[in-house]
Amino acid sequence: MKRILRIRVNGRWREDALADNTLLIDYLRGPLQLTGTKQGCDGGECGACTVLVDGRPRLACCTFAAAVEGCHVETIESQAQNGRLSPLQQAFHEKLGAQCGFCTPGMVMAAEGLLRRNPQPDEAEIREALGGNLCRCTGYVKIVESVQAACAAKEAA
Amino acid sequence: MQDLAIHRPQTVAQAIALHRTGASRYLAGGTDLVPNLRRNIQKAQTLIDISGLAELRGIRAESQSLRIGAGVTLEALCASDAVRAHAPLLAEAAALVAGPTHRVSATVGGNLMQDTRCYFYNQGDWWRTANAFCMKCDGDTCRVAPKSERCYACYCGDLAPVLLALDAQVDIAGPTGARREPLAALFADDGMRHLKLAPGDLLVAIDVPVQAGWTAAYEKVRIRGAVDFPLAGIAVALKRDGERIAALRVACTGVNSYPGLVPGLDALVGRKPDDAFHAALDKAVRKEIQPMASILTAAGYRRRVAVSLARRLVERLYG
Amino acid sequence: MKANRSGAGARRPLIDGVEKVTGTAQYTADLPAPNALVGRIFRSPYAHAEIVLVDTAEAAALPGVVAIVTGQDCDKPYGILPISQNEFPLARERIRYRGEPVAAVAAVDAETAERALKLIRLKVVERPAYFAAADARREDAVLLHDNKRGNLEREVHNEFGDVAAGFARADLVREQTFRCAEVTHAHMEPHAALACYEPERGHLTLHSVTQVPYYVHLSLARCLDMDPSCIRVVKPFIGGGFGARTETLNFEIVCGMLARAARGTVRLDLTREETFLTHRGRPESDIRMKIGMTREGRLTACEMEMVMRGGAYGGYGIVTILYAGALLNGLYDLPAVKYDGYRVYTNTPPCGAMRGHGTVNSRFAFDALMGEMATELGLDPIEVRRRNLLKAPTETINGLRVTSYGLPEALDWVERASGWRSRYGRLPKGRGLGIACSHFVSGSAKPVHWSGEPHATVILKLDWDGGIVILTGASEIGQGSSTVMAQCVAEVLGVDWERIRVVASDSLVTPKDNGSYSSRVTYMVGNATIDAAQNLKKLLIEAAARKLKTTPEDIECLGEAYRSIAGGQTLSFNETTVEALVGTGTLTVKGNFTCPEDFQGGKHRGGAVGSTMGFSYAATVVEVSVDEVTGLVKVERAWCALDCGYAINPLSVEGQIQGAVWMGLGQAICEETRYENGLHTAANFLDYRVPTIAESPPIEVGIIESLDPNGPFGAKEASEGPLSSLPAALADAVRNATGLALRELPLTPERVAGALEAREREQRAAARKSARQPATEGAA
Repeated sequence: MKRILRIRVNGRWREDALADNTLLIDYLRGPLQLTGTKQGCDGGECGACTVLVDGRPRLACCTFAAAVEGCHVETIESQAQNGRLSPLQQAFHEKLGAQCGFCTPGMVMAAEGLLRRNPQPDEAEIREALGGNLCRCTGYVKIVESVQAACAAKEAA
Repeated sequence: MQDLAIHRPQTVAQAIALHRTGASRYLAGGTDLVPNLRRNIQKAQTLIDISGLAELRGIRAESQSLRIGAGVTLEALCASDAVRAHAPLLAEAAALVAGPTHRVSATVGGNLMQDTRCYFYNQGDWWRTANAFCMKCDGDTCRVAPKSERCYACYCGDLAPVLLALDAQVDIAGPTGARREPLAALFADDGMRHLKLAPGDLLVAIDVPVQAGWTAAYEKVRIRGAVDFPLAGIAVALKRDGERIAALRVACTGVNSYPGLVPGLDALVGRKPDDAFHAALDKAVRKEIQPMASILTAAGYRRRVAVSLARRLVERLYG
Repeated sequence: MKANRSGAGARRPLIDGVEKVTGTAQYTADLPAPNALVGRIFRSPYAHAEIVLVDTAEAAALPGVVAIVTGQDCDKPYGILPISQNEFPLARERIRYRGEPVAAVAAVDAETAERALKLIRLKVVERPAYFAAADARREDAVLLHDNKRGNLEREVHNEFGDVAAGFARADLVREQTFRCAEVTHAHMEPHAALACYEPERGHLTLHSVTQVPYYVHLSLARCLDMDPSCIRVVKPFIGGGFGARTETLNFEIVCGMLARAARGTVRLDLTREETFLTHRGRPESDIRMKIGMTREGRLTACEMEMVMRGGAYGGYGIVTILYAGALLNGLYDLPAVKYDGYRVYTNTPPCGAMRGHGTVNSRFAFDALMGEMATELGLDPIEVRRRNLLKAPTETINGLRVTSYGLPEALDWVERASGWRSRYGRLPKGRGLGIACSHFVSGSAKPVHWSGEPHATVILKLDWDGGIVILTGASEIGQGSSTVMAQCVAEVLGVDWERIRVVASDSLVTPKDNGSYSSRVTYMVGNATIDAAQNLKKLLIEAAARKLKTTPEDIECLGEAYRSIAGGQTLSFNETTVEALVGTGTLTVKGNFTCPEDFQGGKHRGGAVGSTMGFSYAATVVEVSVDEVTGLVKVERAWCALDCGYAINPLSVEGQIQGAVWMGLGQAICEETRYENGLHTAANFLDYRVPTIAESPPIEVGIIESLDPNGPFGAKEASEGPLSSLPAALADAVRNATGLALRELPLTPERVAGALEAREREQRAAARKSARQPATEGAA
């Protein structure tokens, strides 16, 4: 069954005809071509598909598009504004929070969700908030440092 | 993804009315159901999205209890001042569930009523076909215990043992009306039908009594610091009266097809937690639990560690 | 050495890092291909079977199915080693593991392709299947490959030095068995390929997740029976490799076969489960390790037997079993080594190369036993290692050359950083410190396919616009290879970073490269890049001399300008470029690197494996706490010092070391694949436990720069060496915390608690016995 869904994606309201069984990740990666959101597992196990729904992190692979009707979905593509990387993006780049980069969009979005609630998290809070996002390259050390650097940059700004 | 229709009712009554056939399922946070739908191990033609129902939301401190809407997310549960004040263990246990992003969507009701797990079951189509299926889905033999008449999939929720130890009640709405019953009455010792619910029944709220003098703790054995389901989990609530234990409840998860209160602890009430007490406690826990080879970590280990945890938690709470 | 802001020694963020943080980096599954057909693979449910029939008629008749391929469509076996090619992209005649591809479908959409898979009928006659090395080696076992008796892919027997004499002069000889579970790469990006066949031209383009585009290119040409000039292989951004993608993988060829059969474009995205089934990870290993030591802690001899459960096909197996023995050498001064290795075929997904290829499990057994013996002798474990150091330059007993050796400094660093002297042996109950060392090659001095070409070739292009383009076949897989190459160019030419761009891994435009494996890229491709940059610099200096009417010797390169020392006139880089193009046009210069033959290992059979021009050296200390009730090992902190020769990019080196330490910890405490009758029971991220950030420890890194005489600016590898020390360091720390020597990986709560309980039982039994003893005597 298809129906027209009204969803705000990265600041812009859209109306798309989608089958009810369309998952949010397939909506983003398919018709919207927002391929920054990654599929890393067969459902709910790795966090690579993390996006923000109304400002809170959500696994796009476990969410039906229909369930976010009327909501604001933010993906990694929305984070750089006017050609400027977000503080988190800048920090992940400069501090080598990204190696292969595959977990990075989900990691950045999960961290963004954290910082919006808690702009100055301590290390334990950072590790807590990113617990569902697997990374296979970094050992997470530089991911923690990246989030800390982004907080420091925001503080200074 | 299987073909299905999604409805988004506005009220509990509408939700129940929409739930007509066995092919309907309620959808809340989706963190348990959607991976299962993706793997075709749970099936649905109609999903009734209850995540928007106001009646399922809210945490309210009442005179003798804490009322928690079934649709409250685990994240909200962790953050709730009322929960932290009146049932802090519940917030602590909720923080141990899955990963933080799961907890943003996952709900209290969904966590309580999550499906049982088994490595013969939580697999994709190819795998289960290659293994000629199992009793719980598309087959007729329990692969864990092939001669058994029943399914031994394991219950792995974290909130249930805590709520059992806290003596919680649940409010259920359904096609035949509303009812309140002890949480323990919701569960059955059967990996396939571990929930005693009629079609259309919907968990509305959980009522947690607030009783003075009790202390409670939950410990979950897991290998990783996040994401993992419990290999075994034990919740203990006790009340101390001088040197003696005045009341005691022990509940477990990850070791049976249902989360259960350890029976037979009455004989321990009024005693000091000495060696004999602990030997009796060990025995009671050991008798209650029956971990099976439904998850990859050995049943023998899970049995032993559950017993040891119960002992450790009682010692810790006793002080 | 001068450290300019983007040259050697600079902490540069990755040259392709912005794309990664903005989500614009396109991985294979992200590539736009609007009209691509969807591919799906039909996999065997059987572990070992003769194929009677693969009936695809019904599937082919399903509307929307465009092409179906089976084993009938390719009769050319492939495999990374020319001497053991025994795998077909789709099984022919025989199926050897559950999950092996048997047929594949291309259809208009995923639903149709999946429906078609259910209509394929596979008829077989099942054969006995073996899931353990010991079962496959039984005398009456059916052979997986008819020419391999005893189901042994390769047995290795060698002895260097006088082992018997070594043990004879030892004061302490200990022998123990060790077991390591199979582990796998679990790179975050699931496997994917995109193939486009152009029927009018007969051209095939494959985009894939490979670390080795050249080997994929070779295999495609072979298996599809196409001229290699008609094939193009492109590696887009890839989400990690760790060795999984260092050989051609079945789905890459299958995707090409489907595209050709469909005469169009096919996208083949594997699920996470299928990615696990494709495997190529580190084999389950059973090890018998025997070490001799003098009272002072000097090693006198070592004897190791290693049995690897290799899985169903050859892959890199021969190299793995050779590495396991060869790299017992080259870390410590070891006077005598006897090695017996057995690589066994079993009905499980094929193993292959994984970070620390071949050495990790041997190193676990060696260093763990070395630590146990140090304790027995009452020696400090760091001190024992100090007493067995090599002195570079030297050559090992099996012909490996060691030209730079920073292990002594690495030991000093971790000893200091971890507070070892004041804390070792003084920690509270349940807490412990442990240490181990390790090393790894900076590229194999002898390539897999010996063609007489240099080991690495890089092209630099400089055109009228003043932009320098590095053309390289080396696969950037997240390890930062493109960044390192750009830094090499920036260092030699001194130009602004913005001038430099890297085009990598597109066979249409980039030179052949053997690929990203055995940590060869920084060393070999880095050296080739420096060579190319020097060649370009020479042309620019000549041009500047021409323009300024002076001699090249008089020209000084200032990076962004060229200056006559005598006359003082300068030319900007762009002016110099314009002059350099006169009469010749666009400059393309080449740089090469070749490992001299005397680095290519001993003359014995298999002697080339393990040979390298530079070993990295690591020392690692781990601190743990152990919950004696649950058996849970918590890693509190890890310290690792690595001699990487020289850190061309210290930021990147830190990242590589941290990642390696952490991956080694994963193997040591929680990762293992599991099979139930050959069926993978942990093919997901809940049961295959990649550590999360929550329990991952802080990792402190020390960079030791021994300046290798042949490495690029003195650099060696930085990504594999540290890993191998982790399992032994962890086991050592757990032993320090609990008094238990645990010799089976991973040290899960189940295993640790089991060992603690076993000890308790023994102690109780001993107590009962000693309680009875005096009574008995009294009665007598």
